[in-house]
Amino acid sequence: MNAALLLPAALSALAALLLPLLLHLARRSEQRPTPFAALRWLRQKPKPRHRLRFDEWPLLALRVLLLALMALWLAQPVLFGSASDKPWVAVVPGIDAAQVRAAIASEQARAHWLAPGFPDLDQAAPAASAVPFASLLRQLDAELPAAVKLSVVVPEQLQGADAQRPRLSRAVEWKVLPGAMPPPKSVPVPVPALSVRFPENRADQVRYLRAAAIAWQPAANAPAYEAAPGTQALPAGAKNLAWLAPGPLPVAITEWIERGGTALLASDTDYTPSGATLVPWRDEVGAALVEETPLGRGRALRFTRPLTPAEMPELLQADFPRHLRALFAARAPAPSRVEARDYPPTTGGPSHAQAPRDLQPWLALLTGALWLLERLMATRRSRAASP
Amino acid sequence: MSYELIPPQVRSRLKDLRLTSRRAVGSHGIGLHHSRSRGAGLEFAQYRAYEPGDELRQVDWKLYARSDRFFVREAERESPLSVWMLIDASASMGQEDATRPGWSRLDAAKALAACLGELALRQGDRFGWVALRDTGLQLAAPATGARQRDRLLLEMHALSAHGVFPAVEQLAPLWDRVGAHDLVIVLGDCFDPACLELMQRLAAARREVLAIQLLTVEERDFPFRGGYRFRDPETGEELLGDGTALRSEFLRRFGEARDLLHARLDASGIRHAGYVLDQELDLPLRRLFGSRDAAEYA
Repeated sequence: MNAALLLPAALSALAALLLPLLLHLARRSEQRPTPFAALRWLRQKPKPRHRLRFDEWPLLALRVLLLALMALWLAQPVLFGSASDKPWVAVVPGIDAAQVRAAIASEQARAHWLAPGFPDLDQAAPAASAVPFASLLRQLDAELPAAVKLSVVVPEQLQGADAQRPRLSRAVEWKVLPGAMPPPKSVPVPVPALSVRFPENRADQVRYLRAAAIAWQPAANAPAYEAAPGTQALPAGAKNLAWLAPGPLPVAITEWIERGGTALLASDTDYTPSGATLVPWRDEVGAALVEETPLGRGRALRFTRPLTPAEMPELLQADFPRHLRALFAARAPAPSRVEARDYPPTTGGPSHAQAPRDLQPWLALLTGALWLLERLMATRRSRAASP
Repeated sequence: MSYELIPPQVRSRLKDLRLTSRRAVGSHGIGLHHSRSRGAGLEFAQYRAYEPGDELRQVDWKLYARSDRFFVREAERESPLSVWMLIDASASMGQEDATRPGWSRLDAAKALAACLGELALRQGDRFGWVALRDTGLQLAAPATGARQRDRLLLEMHALSAHGVFPAVEQLAPLWDRVGAHDLVIVLGDCFDPACLELMQRLAAARREVLAIQLLTVEERDFPFRGGYRFRDPETGEELLGDGTALRSEFLRRFGEARDLLHARLDASGIRHAGYVLDQELDLPLRRLFGSRDAAEYA
């Protein structure tokens, strides 16, 4: 443990210590004549002995100390290595706390939940948080001094795991206890709403798309489907568009895609894909039916054939709505549930320097207390009126 | 300075004090003191018309012979003793202690004068006062009654300390006014030789002289430490000195001077008492007029 100053130049404020000393030594009593009628019995001395003399030295010392503390406060003192070296036990929520306490061998160990803020184990188990536990583990590893032994108590099944085992700077004792992390809340995938824009001569192609959109919904619900000829503006909030017109793609549609929309273009729409091309849908022989290219924040999909049953028999097959929906569906989240015994952290991660403890608030408290004491001493009743 | 000169607790302790004079043979009047004369005062005051019930011997028969009417001759009742308070009002009386600003030697003298006036009024004595200063004496002839007491308080409030102690020649009016056997009480610091000379001459001229020497705490204890610029308020002389170094020498010489002063006062038959500014106000009065001395008048 050693202390340091972040701004040593501020110690020049110590020059202010001269202030009370000079004020104290500039004795007003010598400047101001003291009336003394019995002067004739005072023997004349050649000159007054001039020597440093301190009246009320406790008060003076207090004031000097007060100024010194203020200068020290300005210099921003910090304390390195003041953190405790006691072992740390991080408990992933999902395990009974009593079970954990029985498992902890050391009396001195500090047990905390592995949750944002690291609440104490004595508190109630925190609710499932949005922060993945591996991230919390890395934060904990970075914040603890290197000498602290870290053990992590995990339930048998972990949720929210990354694709890679966490790399930490230290070896961690990985203890698996019976239990399970609360599973993440399952969110139903919404049915995509489809907008269709078509030229007059291709109105017959629209019916396949309409039939598919109706098939996505349960029979009782109205289909989330909207079709309009020509270049009618898209409704606000539209995410998915089928663009069946030949010729160049309007600039408005391109910009709409770049803002995050997904557009399914006809085979004869003029569109030069840029970047890597994916093939999300192939026919039975493996030929590409739809190509996908990213555009801005959105995606541009394009049929490779005209939308006629002669060219594209898949239009008439029973699984066409399913395939079409898969084109517009958002990406499924990566699997994140893992068996805890297969997921111990590896070592070799970067280690971080410990943040020193800031002493400024404590100094400010001390200064305040000393100031109160100084006021108390300076205004006490028994204090002499002069100097 | 508060409006009331006499503190209440001192006022309550004044009641067992009597102004006494060793020379108070009191040639006339009715009063507290021994007197050879009988009857009402002899100093003529006024005539007034006769009223039934007046004593016949009070009727002025000669005036009746002239005017054919009855007149009663009224005399001013005269008190047997005149008390003179000589208050030193020179600049040295304005000295006060650093520990108690606002309580100067002159304030103590004023309060003592008010106490003395109160005592004199209560026992029917006449009292007057003189403020001693080189620029002119401020003199009030002795009289008695509440008006004289109020006048004393009024003038005491207005009195301030400046100037120096008057020379002996300037004190001539005093000899005209202070009669023989009068009680003279000097309130002052008694540092000036002229003050001592005045007291000695008054005492030699058969006046009963009492002295109350007023000292500050700083003169008694000399609590100065470090360099100070001492200044005599009367002469303006200054002395720069170190308090610690001066202390023992000053205390020794000042003590010798006080002993000498006491010896001279004793030699002249002047009763005296000291008063230091941190003491109770009635202490010097109790020393001079305490119940032991006043027992014979009780």
